Order: sequence, then C-alpha cells, then structure tokens
Amino acid sequence: MIVTSEHLSKWYGQVSGLNDVSVVVPDGITGLLGPNGAGKSTFMKLITGQLRPSKGQVRVLGEPIWDNPVLYQRIGFCPEQDAFYDRMTGREWVTALAGLHGFDERAAADAAARAIEKVELTDAADRKIGSYSKGMRQRIKLAQAIAHEPELLILDEPLSGMDPLMRRRTVKQIKEWARAGTSVLVSSHILHEIEAMTSNIVLINNGRLVAEGDVHQIRDLIDEHPHTVSIRTSQTHAVARELLADEGVISVRFEPDGLVVETMRPDAFYARVTDLAAGGRFGPINEITSPDDNLQAVFRYLVKA
Amino acid sequence: MTTRPALPAPPTFATGAVRVFGLSLGEMLWSRRTVFLMLVTGVPVFVALVFRIVQSTGVAPLRVNSAPVDGGAIFGMMIWVFFLRFIVPVLGVFYGTALLADEVEDRTITYLFTRPIRRGAVLMGKYLAYLVSTSLVVLPSVVLVYFLLVPLGQVARTFTAFAADLGLLALGLAAYGALFALVGAALKRPLVSGLVFVFGWEQIALIVPGYVKRFTVAHYVQGLVPHAMPSDGVAAVLQSVLRDNPPALVCILALAGVVAVSLWLGVRAVESREYVLDQ
Repeated sequence: MIVTSEHLSKWYGQVSGLNDVSVVVPDGITGLLGPNGAGKSTFMKLITGQLRPSKGQVRVLGEPIWDNPVLYQRIGFCPEQDAFYDRMTGREWVTALAGLHGFDERAAADAAARAIEKVELTDAADRKIGSYSKGMRQRIKLAQAIAHEPELLILDEPLSGMDPLMRRRTVKQIKEWARAGTSVLVSSHILHEIEAMTSNIVLINNGRLVAEGDVHQIRDLIDEHPHTVSIRTSQTHAVARELLADEGVISVRFEPDGLVVETMRPDAFYARVTDLAAGGRFGPINEITSPDDNLQAVFRYLVKA
Repeated sequence: MTTRPALPAPPTFATGAVRVFGLSLGEMLWSRRTVFLMLVTGVPVFVALVFRIVQSTGVAPLRVNSAPVDGGAIFGMMIWVFFLRFIVPVLGVFYGTALLADEVEDRTITYLFTRPIRRGAVLMGKYLAYLVSTSLVVLPSVVLVYFLLVPLGQVARTFTAFAADLGLLALGLAAYGALFALVGAALKRPLVSGLVFVFGWEQIALIVPGYVKRFTVAHYVQGLVPHAMPSDGVAAVLQSVLRDNPPALVCILALAGVVAVSLWLGVRAVESREYVLDQ
C-alpha cells in the first residue's frame, strides 16, 4: 500500500478542505479524480506532508509523512503550481534539487541529466526556465520529481498545459515508470487523462471520498454527458472543419486563439486530435484542455442518484 | 521491474542548509530587492563623492558650532546614522522577513519542503544566503565611503576602527536578519511587524530613560560603534542622547544571543507551522 488514510479531515479555520476520508491506495498507478475545489489539492498536500491533518491520520509508504523528512528520499512530487526559479536553467534547477537528496555535485548533475533526458528536455536543459513554454515547464517539474528515482511518484495535474503529442508521450512515460516498479498517484480533473494511465481511481468531491476502484463504471456515466474540450491552434477553421466530420462532435465554438468543441465520444475525439497534431497538416496544435464542467456534470448526476 | 539504485544518505541538517544556501544565493543576489538596496547603499557613496570633490576644490572644511569636521568624523557619522540606524535594520527587515515569505508567495517552497532535509535547514540555508548577499551589498559601499572620505594620511591611524566598523556591520546584519527570520517564520504579516519594531519600538525605546532600551538590537549595535564623535555640536547632542554604552563584551554577547535564540526559535517555528499556498 502506498498511501493509507483513516478518517482524514482538514479544516482551514471554519472551512472544510477534506472531510473524513478513509482510503487505501495500492501499488501501481492510481488516479485521483475530482473537479477543481473538490479537495484533491488538500489531499495531495496532506499526503506530501505539506499540511498536518486536523483529524485522522495519513501514512505514506507505511510511515507518517508530517514532520518526517527522511521519507521524501523515497517520494518524488510534481506539484500543480507553475512556480520556478525562473533565472535558473532547467539543468541547474534539477541539479540543485537533486543535491537536496544527498547526492554530491557530480552525482546530482548525472541524476539531473538522466531525468531531463527522460522527459525529453535535453536540448533545452541549458536555457533559463523563464523562457520555457508551459509544456516544457511541466516536463522540467516532472524531471525534478524523478531525478532521485523515487519509489512513489505523486503527480498533481502533470499533463496540464502540454500539447497533445507530449501528453501522449508523458502518459506512456508514466506507464513505463510504473512498469519499472515506481508507484504513481496522479491527480486530474479530466477522466480521460486518468483513464489513459490506469483503471484504478479515487474520486473526491466536496471534500469527501465519492468512490474508489475501477474507472469503467464512472466512465459509462461520463459518456452520457457531452464532453467539452478547448483546443489552442492558429488554424481554427481548418481544424474545425476536420473535427466536425467526426460524428461524435455536437458543437464547435470559435475563440480568439482556438476552438471549444463539445463531443459525445471523447475517447475517439482525443485520439483524432492527437492524430491531427502528429500529422502536422493544420499547423501546430499547442494545447488541449478540458474544463472540469464535464466531471462536475458526472458528480451532479452521482449525487442526484 | 528494474532494480532501484541505492540512494545516498539524506543530508544532515548542516549539509541541507549548505545546499539550500547554494540554491538561494544566486536568486537572492539578483532579486529586484537587492538591486533596489544597491541603489540605496549607493547614496552614501554619492554623498562621499560629492564631499571629496568639494574638498578637492579647496573650500573651507565643514564646521559644526565652529568646530571643523573632517572626513573621518563624517565617515563615523555615516556609519552610525546611515548604515547602523537605517540600512542594516532595513536590510534585516526586508530580507529576514522574506526568507520564507518570498518562497511561499512565489509558491516555490513546495520544492524545498518535499525534500529529505529538515525544514529548519531550509531556513538556515536561506539565512546564510541572506548574510552573504547583504554583506556583498553593504560592505563594498562602506569601503568606498571610507576611502572617499578619510584622507590617505589618516588611513593607517583609523584602519583598525574601520575594520571594526565592517565587523560591526556584519554583526548587525546577522542580529537583525536572525530576529526578522524568526518574525518571518512565526508571524503571518512579518513585514509590518518588522517595520513597527525598527521604526517604532526601537526609536522610542532608545530615547526612553531606563532599561527599556536593552530590549532593542540597536542598543547593543550602537554600543560597539568605535568612533569618537565630534565633541560639540549636533552630533555630540545625538551621541549623548542615544549612546549609553554597555561594555563591548556585553554588546557582543547580547548580539550573539539574539542571533542564536532567534535562529533556534525560527527553526522551531518553521518546523511546526503549515504553509498554505494560494492556488
């Protein structure tokens, strides 16, 4: 078991962030799913020892995490926030953080180089982080999390801001890390992101555990609701024409820097967009995002049921 | 499944602090705050330069109540009034309270607090980075002011006092920095509290007769000022009001005590406090 929590609650003053969550997260890949504001971030902060439980307890890799810094030697954490030391290069930053795990200078530099290679950023490693695109910043965050080759990777919205191709490669990479023996707990508000990595999920909403286990039942529910996807591209009309040919697409709305598409067949749609990006016929497709309205709709349905 | 490579032992408290120091120094040195404070510490250099130029034109020396004031005395005044009473406390407040606050505000603290080092080591490493970077800002300015103001013929005679000035400034930076590192680690609005302490409490306590001034850092810092001030005029009045010298050894021990106790309490505060980041 990588994470266990018993009656875990966290209050911020009078506001409840997490309420009586008891969960056992097994080895392998587990997705933590919930809309924004559901309590995912609070749960992530509790299991990474950034917050102390108000009530209940949480154990990570069998040990309490709060005030137990030695445990971080076995954990890699990729936080959600887009925050960096922008004046440093990617290589300097990952090397410095690897150094905090006890590596000497040379070993830290080697560990950083390996991690940067794994996230395919070697070419940009000596550029300042301030000049990186959103997707590159996500990848350098992943590099700092894996540099010390941890047993457990905790990834908070790791695919956010990546272009479709890099998303596909990162999902593949995460699955490879899991196959190599690293357990991964990954959070997202997009079911299809999680589904691409694992069928084992933990669902949180309104600070409470809604469900845990196999993704397929939830997936059936989400397929009954239209799924909204934003695509950032310069060739809006050509891409829209191409996507409207897909029978699952029910509407397309033009935005200043892209499109917002509603589809009833998200799986096929994501695959189609990735193929379009890979083909390159319509110029670069820089980013696809999915607002959490999709998941909110499912949760509303679940609560109503 | 592949075999996981053996990891090195987690860093000790001291090693962790040194690593955080290495990570933080560059960021601190090239921050906008440091650039601004370099401009502030450039003011006395500019004043000294103007004095030197005026002096070289053969104008009669500056007098206070008919007593001539030479470059050495002006240097002493600048050390006391400008550096010790203004720049050092201000640096202590702005850097000390920001040691962790900046990381929290920039949301980069997560990267440091999810490593196998004690949170206290993060505070210590950042404090060391503060000491080095503020010394690199202040001390060169003092050296320039000294050589601009003090005639070359007086250098040999005054150099010991000058070296003591540099040590005193470093000690002042250490004491104020440690105190405000504690304030930054323990309080939610550390900058306001720091400014109230320096520009409110210390100013009042120093002029109130009695023992209250012992609860200021400035009292012990000023007690170490080695300069003989002009014997009459405004400076002498200032001196008589503000200086109530405890012995040098008492001052040094008191300042060392402020550093040690503040850092110890700061480490305890940072290890027990939760830092909630805005999303």
